[in-house]
Amino acid sequence: MLARVEAESPPAQSRWIEPGKAAVLPAEAEYDDALGRLGILNASGPIDTKGHPFFEPVGANGRACVTCHQPAYAMTISAAAARERWSLTHGKDPLFAAIDGSNCPDLPQEKESSHSLLLDRGLIRIAIPWPPPVHRPEFSIQVVSDPTGCNTSPRYGLDSAHPTVSVFRRPRMAANLKYVTNPRPQFALKLGGLADVDPETGQPVSMNFMADAREPSLRSQARNAAIEHGERTSPLPEADLARIVAFESQIYVAQIQDRNAGKLDEPGGPPALGPRAMADHRPGVLGDNDYDPVFQLFDAWKQPGNSESRASIARGSDIFMFRQFWLRDATHINSIGLGNPLKRTCATCHNAQMTGQDLSAGWVDLGTTNYPTWTEPPMYSESRELPVFKITCNQDAPPHPYLGRVIYTSDPGRALISGRCIDVGSIVVQQFRGLAARAPYFSNGGAKSLRELVDFYDRRFDMKLTDREKQDLINFLGVL
Amino acid sequence: MRLLLALVLALPAFSQHLNFVACPVVRDTKTVPCFLADYKGETYFLGIQQDITADFYPPQLLHEALIEGDIAPGPRVCGGIPLKPLHVSVMPEIDRACNTILPAEPGIDAPPAKRPAGPSTRLAPVSTAQLPPQKPQPPFVARDFIIHYDFDSDFLFARDTRRLTDIAEYARVSGAKVIEITGYRAATLLTDGRTLTEKADVSRLRAERVAGVLKGLGTPASDVHWIPEVTPANGSTDFENRRVIVHVVPEPNAAHQ
Repeated sequence: MLARVEAESPPAQSRWIEPGKAAVLPAEAEYDDALGRLGILNASGPIDTKGHPFFEPVGANGRACVTCHQPAYAMTISAAAARERWSLTHGKDPLFAAIDGSNCPDLPQEKESSHSLLLDRGLIRIAIPWPPPVHRPEFSIQVVSDPTGCNTSPRYGLDSAHPTVSVFRRPRMAANLKYVTNPRPQFALKLGGLADVDPETGQPVSMNFMADAREPSLRSQARNAAIEHGERTSPLPEADLARIVAFESQIYVAQIQDRNAGKLDEPGGPPALGPRAMADHRPGVLGDNDYDPVFQLFDAWKQPGNSESRASIARGSDIFMFRQFWLRDATHINSIGLGNPLKRTCATCHNAQMTGQDLSAGWVDLGTTNYPTWTEPPMYSESRELPVFKITCNQDAPPHPYLGRVIYTSDPGRALISGRCIDVGSIVVQQFRGLAARAPYFSNGGAKSLRELVDFYDRRFDMKLTDREKQDLINFLGVL
Repeated sequence: MRLLLALVLALPAFSQHLNFVACPVVRDTKTVPCFLADYKGETYFLGIQQDITADFYPPQLLHEALIEGDIAPGPRVCGGIPLKPLHVSVMPEIDRACNTILPAEPGIDAPPAKRPAGPSTRLAPVSTAQLPPQKPQPPFVARDFIIHYDFDSDFLFARDTRRLTDIAEYARVSGAKVIEITGYRAATLLTDGRTLTEKADVSRLRAERVAGVLKGLGTPASDVHWIPEVTPANGSTDFENRRVIVHVVPEPNAAHQ
């Protein structure tokens, strides 16, 4: 039965798309991944990559958008893919451009160790000017550990002629974006006011893509990415921007085949699985309820006769939706009027239907980057990978609500943009799709596997998950 | 007469107002958690976990809370004497001593909750905050809209955003040209005789934030100012003085839409 279904599926595509290479990205494509197959749907039909600005080099370093947003890796990249490219190209792939594909541009670029964060954790260097140009910061920032050398570099560091904070983050998925850019509601609960407005359109924006919500629109993101990541010296032409945004807005990505549970998008099955469901569903739906939940109902797989794999996935969905625990000390969840602690479930924060993002402008301090809950070693002096910053909040500013006025962090997150102490460590919630194709997880690549991701939550919120519950959750996350 | 006096003295002071600062205590139950606070050997019930559409926002562990409320008649709730009306402010600084979660115990139940501890259900009634705003109706007269705040805070919670939407809609429909925003700061006289005073610039922060939101909603203020002086405390209605007043004067001959 499974063999017949596979025979009807589109053939698996060759994996890596190099900038400037002529090819056709089919309307529907599938790629093998760690847990089965990833499905891609181009809702507007096949895409000819030749001459397309998403696929053509944009600047001096030969990179295109596709360099870091590869269809085979759920429109981002995985650490494993980066390592494979290193081996194949001996480090010459534009992915490893010195500007941000290395730990710091002033390191010897021919050395593999100079690219360790990309190779080991799938991280790109994000250079953020300090202080922020718009908001006077409420805190000072000090580098206390700098394994990459970039934050103390005379040329690129915090004390350079152009003071810059280098943080290291995973590229986000450039797919399913109608959900991610959906501006709802106009009020941003975490801001205590209105959401940002796109200066080009005058319209409120979602503030829900990019780890720190620093870009208001896909247009501005593409424009600035071409300059910052592509080292382009002039703005992208308007026509190119429009084509990039149009492409990103029509591509849908989700797991389509699980190696144990089989075909995921077959009729009568769970309705939210597969890229077609992503394309068909409407954005902006709150799924934190028991009748039309975040990833809809898995009742079909709870019926007798289904495999244990499918039953486990259905149980995982129930754990995600209904397993209660004490959700506590999470800034912008507990601090916005819900109380601390909050006896709820995963779906409280991951409430946006189809993606599992936060429907509200969604930065939260989950604790992945802030000591002591961070994903790094307990002793920061033992951290050989990410930088560590000491944040000291001004006495006249509201402190971080659960860490106070002195915070150690590997990435201040939203606070680098807002300048607010309360935002230190807050990162925009990511979508849950295509997880099997794009390890590692969290914005800092701190979870190498879904097991490590689930273990982090179990520790962070003292969920007391059993081994079976953990495996059910992993199986559930793997089919999204 | 002497017996009557003794009876009166034995009764709880139902109308007594309390202002105190204490660590909140969380009491788990079979359903949603209760939030309590201890003061002078007595336990008071503050409220239960709900969601952001509710009137009551629970306090936070790791922070003391300023509790301003009247002792309400009736039985204990979740093991505590209920306070109603009640205003709870989360104090900004961290206090790691505030970290008590009591386990659920037989016989201690939370009052019925609109929303269970898990996801919401079809059975949950729609709160007024979730209903679409109603278009303001004439007659349009000069009105003061008041927004209240937590102590030392200018943050606008979800419950406040609905109020601001109403203000903007009233100003728009009534064709108001005069929209005056005034921010205030206050002090609170605690029951133990101490006085807490809000930080110096909070009246400005409150006024400017409200002005920013109203501008974003298409109804910019004609005047924004703030009162730096502290409204004196009286120990009973102090939370009402932590406020912004938006004074809206409709245009008499405006074509109302």
